[in-house]
Amino acid sequence: MPDSAKPLEPNAAPETIEEEREEVLVRRSRRGDLKAYDDLVRRYQERIYATIYHMTSNHEDANDLAQESFIKAFQALGSFKGGSSFYTWLYRIAVNKTINFLKQRKNRTHMSLNDLDFNAEHDPDLMALISHKTPQRDAGLNELQEKLNAALLKLSEQHRLVVVLHDVQGQSHEEIAKVMDCNIGTVRSRLFYARQQLQSELADYLK
Amino acid sequence: MNESETHFEQLSRLLSLKGREVPPPGYFNGFSSRVIHRIRQGEAAKADGFLARLFEEAPWLLRFIRSFEARPAYAGTFVSVLFLLLVAGIVYSDHPEVATETLMPTTAAATGGSPLAVVTPNFMEQAPSQSADFVSSTNPVLSLDPGASAFGGQNSLLQPVGFTR
Repeated sequence: MPDSAKPLEPNAAPETIEEEREEVLVRRSRRGDLKAYDDLVRRYQERIYATIYHMTSNHEDANDLAQESFIKAFQALGSFKGGSSFYTWLYRIAVNKTINFLKQRKNRTHMSLNDLDFNAEHDPDLMALISHKTPQRDAGLNELQEKLNAALLKLSEQHRLVVVLHDVQGQSHEEIAKVMDCNIGTVRSRLFYARQQLQSELADYLK
Repeated sequence: MNESETHFEQLSRLLSLKGREVPPPGYFNGFSSRVIHRIRQGEAAKADGFLARLFEEAPWLLRFIRSFEARPAYAGTFVSVLFLLLVAGIVYSDHPEVATETLMPTTAAATGGSPLAVVTPNFMEQAPSQSADFVSSTNPVLSLDPGASAFGGQNSLLQPVGFTR
């Protein structure tokens, strides 16, 4: 699973070169070089955006929050000591921003559903889930997506974040622990609890 | 943990559906430029913030500048005055004695036209011509009364002071 998906020894050298290049970009950005920062934004925009989107289930909010996260990161670059990778640090900013936003939005029930990409309709695993194995044979992708989003939104922000980072984005427990600034045991227990909650919410689709 | 992974296998497959939720193609084309644009705007706003604070602290300055917008002739006059002051300053710094004569003609004339005499008055020469009731000097006064002794006699210019009510 995601833990095993981590690059092994043969990929170590290119990863180091990548990290070195990233360090150079961060250093240049700290000096106010917006071209370098533009490179960093391009590098992480999709991953940051996806995490925020899966937390908020709203493209507009995700767009705003992702932009604000990058802006805040640029303004706070002076305080980045390099103790963790830039990506982890950036992720932490985005996650905190999103959690704060969700706390403020708590009273809002609005949730926009977004279209699945075209390929999803041709995914055999997915089609199997919503075809003969499910009791609701006529349940379409949209309905399933709606249920899934609703179930995720019932979780607390911390539990939802763990599920999104691990099961949707494929991050390892270690990476999640760094982003959430907690230990791996906490990540595992939160993940277990969140999955249990989701399983009971989505029982009809999992039989 | 492997057992729980198996237990939640179906759920994981269902959650992978979330990964399919992607924005339309080309969504990120202008994303980084928008971020950079907003950063630039923020930096410009910081500079504007300084001006806003300045005008808040000194509203007269804002009114003064706005009066130039309303009547451009004021701006021209103001600049002309500033220019004249600048020229006068340059002229004054080149010929300080001319300016001194202009400013203090009577004193200079009384001292025989020497500019040094103006800045260092000679008390020994001036004392007899002045009134005996008023003497101005930065030197310590030991005795201005010819009849008083420095050790026992009373100085008529010094008054005893009491602090009781």
